[in-house]
Amino acid sequence: MPAKLLRAAAVDGGVLTMVLGNGLGAIAAGRVALAACCDAWGLSPAVVNRIEVIFEEVVANIVRHGFAPGYAQEIHVAAQLADGFAVLRFEDDGVAFDPLAVAPPAPFTSLAEAAVGGLGIPMVRRLASDVVYAAGGCFDGGFRPVNRLTVRVATGAISPAPPS
Amino acid sequence: MQVTTIEGITRVVLDGRLDTDGVNAIELSFTATIVPAGRPAIVDLGAVTFLASLGVRMFISTARAAAGRGNTLVLFKATPPVAEIIDTMGLGEIIAIAGTEDEAIALAKA
Repeated sequence: MPAKLLRAAAVDGGVLTMVLGNGLGAIAAGRVALAACCDAWGLSPAVVNRIEVIFEEVVANIVRHGFAPGYAQEIHVAAQLADGFAVLRFEDDGVAFDPLAVAPPAPFTSLAEAAVGGLGIPMVRRLASDVVYAAGGCFDGGFRPVNRLTVRVATGAISPAPPS
Repeated sequence: MQVTTIEGITRVVLDGRLDTDGVNAIELSFTATIVPAGRPAIVDLGAVTFLASLGVRMFISTARAAAGRGNTLVLFKATPPVAEIIDTMGLGEIIAIAGTEDEAIALAKA
């Protein structure tokens, strides 16, 4: 149930923070809070769409590939506006993984050879202004090193994302 | 998901969000509607409000399976948020994209 997967959400000083549980239902649960925050920030529909796609892809990637089914692992999300960008920070205590170290799939040139997996992170990188990965530290009371992915999305006039 | 036949072409109308939940809900029936029919298909995206990578994967997989039977899949009338993802991912390089239904039918018959 999505409600159980949104363990905490708060807005303080213009910063949205959420704690999401280990399950794909966390995407729908967190998206509602994120969309409400984007509305309050007065972002354009095009920018909000980019933010929602990035949120979906990053959380799905963590749950599918970083977490073990049934374990009480968490994703801590923070979102705020800063210097013309929406800044999304994702921290998780799953398997250490730098998504930026993975070579992106080849651009689509033929239907027969097109990759159907591994499209999410390349999509994030194309929609974002920049993406930074770091690792280190632990959640309070935790013992696993934390993956930290910071994604910035320009909030001004949208220009087309670079083609694949 | 609504399915009709028009001029010997399968016409599918999708709506809502093609996110993780949305794709999981329709992927099997979407593929089963288009591929075994053995004829071209056009997919109306005019009421789709969100497209994530799982939706892109669904379109590629279905178009590939249809192509294996000699049939074309055409996507048309994408909304702005969906069109941005299609463009960003370069989906138009491998799947026919049309603006209107008439254009989609013409591409499906080509």
